[in-house]
Amino acid sequence: MKTASKHILIAAATVAALMAGTAGTLMAQQKPVIATVVKISGIPWFDRMNTGVVAYQKANPDVVATQSGPATADAAQQLQIIQDLVAKGVNALAVVPMDPAVIEGTLKRAMDRGIVVVTHEADNQKNTQADVEAFDNADYGTALNARLAECMGNKGKWTTFVGSLGSRTHLQWVGAGEANAKKHPDMQLVDPNNESFDDANATYEKAKEILRKHPDIKGFQTSAGNDVLGVGRAIDEAGLSGKICLVGTGLPNPSADLLESGAITAIGFWDPQKAGMAMNAVAKLLLEKKPVTDGMDLGVEGYSKVTVKKGAGEGMLIVGNGMVLADKATYKQHMF
Amino acid sequence: MHKTSEQLIMLVVINVALLVVGAVISGGTFLSLFNFQSMASQVPEIGLLAIGVMLAMCAGNGGIDLSGIALANLSGVLSAVIVSSFLSATDNETAFSLTFMAMTVGIGLVGGVINGLLISKLNITPILCTLGTQMAFMGLAVVVSGGKAVTVGSPDLLSRIGNDMLLGLPIGFLIFAVIAAVIAAVLKFTPYGLWLMLMGTNPKAAVYAGFPRTGILVATYAISGTLSGLAGMIIAARNVNVKYDYGSSYLLIAILVVVMAGVKPEGGYGRVICVVLSAIALQLMSSLLNFGGLSNFVRDFAWGLLLLTFLAVGRYDVAGFLVPFKGQHKSSGPSPQAPKPSN
Repeated sequence: MKTASKHILIAAATVAALMAGTAGTLMAQQKPVIATVVKISGIPWFDRMNTGVVAYQKANPDVVATQSGPATADAAQQLQIIQDLVAKGVNALAVVPMDPAVIEGTLKRAMDRGIVVVTHEADNQKNTQADVEAFDNADYGTALNARLAECMGNKGKWTTFVGSLGSRTHLQWVGAGEANAKKHPDMQLVDPNNESFDDANATYEKAKEILRKHPDIKGFQTSAGNDVLGVGRAIDEAGLSGKICLVGTGLPNPSADLLESGAITAIGFWDPQKAGMAMNAVAKLLLEKKPVTDGMDLGVEGYSKVTVKKGAGEGMLIVGNGMVLADKATYKQHMF
Repeated sequence: MHKTSEQLIMLVVINVALLVVGAVISGGTFLSLFNFQSMASQVPEIGLLAIGVMLAMCAGNGGIDLSGIALANLSGVLSAVIVSSFLSATDNETAFSLTFMAMTVGIGLVGGVINGLLISKLNITPILCTLGTQMAFMGLAVVVSGGKAVTVGSPDLLSRIGNDMLLGLPIGFLIFAVIAAVIAAVLKFTPYGLWLMLMGTNPKAAVYAGFPRTGILVATYAISGTLSGLAGMIIAARNVNVKYDYGSSYLLIAILVVVMAGVKPEGGYGRVICVVLSAIALQLMSSLLNFGGLSNFVRDFAWGLLLLTFLAVGRYDVAGFLVPFKGQHKSSGPSPQAPKPSN
């Protein structure tokens, strides 16, 4: 029995040593720490955001900027990370919530402890000092539709796709698009608000149906990230690349082939790299107790003249002009 | 007996080692009172679910409860929707809290009884049965909530359970500790506990010996369900909101906790204290890695490593194998070709 416990002790010490080896990063606690917590780590979108956090750290050596996120898409895991960071005693949190509702309580506790809280992609978050949004949703929808109208020559049948009818931002985008299209009386909206569920294959099937039903359709405005891929493939396979216009939210890398073939006219997005930098910039301003004012320059491309409004709770809503519209000629500048 | 205490000692040592490593890495803040409270408030959710899985496993015959977190979410979501339809969380704070708490536990109990009846009466394999009920519970929660988060609010009593301390410990953790102690006592001192373990060891013999098989199974899954309901209540108290897909990763973590605690997957053996220590060890490790600012993928790796270590220690005399030259009793150690079973 005695030897057994001694052996166990040694085995445990070996495990502990192994873990100490992996967990070797020591922290310098003197400088204020801004911890960015993303929805999920290891996916392209948030890897891109990490490059922004790294760049921000390089440009601002007087703070410590780090990014972490759960390995699985689970709000509970993100919650644990935030809670541990609060206990660790970071000075500011910059959170991209998986589910704003789930982390309300924890963010409130963080703020009660004097931690600066900044969020992104969560304009309904109540317990935050500042929510940073890349752009105004109505402006974005209008811009997408303006690009579509230009391609369609301001006339012809067009339709819209949303991720789901419960997706608030998507409906805001297509709503603004419809309002913009009213300026062009020859543009005729048919079968609007098709649900794509962000599934490229389902969108492809749906787009084929629409092409059969309306052979004379001229334009598509899509919302979820994978919609352009599905609709684009349908257009491409029908041999209609360049004849039908397609403008929607999408990322440059996956869309590259279809942009080249002309099936996708233009994609709209915001750069998570810049969003990460903007969140950190706002967090630093709040840490230094400096005011964030309307029309201010955060020193980040796309956030040079931000609009500051009242947010969903006590905090403020900071809206940038970080929207990017890219087409065949320009998408190569934003490869991610 | 030998093996039992070995597992327990191993868990204690691991916990202490994690604390030491944490203290070294964080320069002390890991051992601060606030961090202990923060970590303690995170343990109950997974700990309660793990005890439920342990009981189901002890029942033998491939017993397992996969429906735990789904039932916890369902109890939270359903209670929130029903209770707020006739009580206001801001006007009748105490009444709301009490009704809500009673209802979460009640729904957990009902869900657990359904599992138990399906398994004992219809003879459905536990893994398939609870997989089915897991989906059913989750689906029901989606339908009831429309797929969105439901706000419970923070009425006085409920928010205290989620946020306040008693004697320096989070109330949620105290509830967990008391429940764990009660279940440990039930397993040790009541006929039910004896029946459960014996039936898990040999189901056929148990039936011939005249054990109330149906009763034992229903009671086991009912307790597991009730624990899920309690977990749902604590989740709601902590997070103010409940959602159908909260904690989807808990399912596997709960099983990991149980296996690490040395509960026999084939049934018949398990100790609550080991499950509690194992849940605490996982919590310490994940907090430790968050303190160290490491990727969460490293955490998965470290958990896997820990699990494999435990399995190896449980099965072979690895400790002796690791230190063949320092071991005082040569006979127990240096034979890498034929590792000696530890008991």
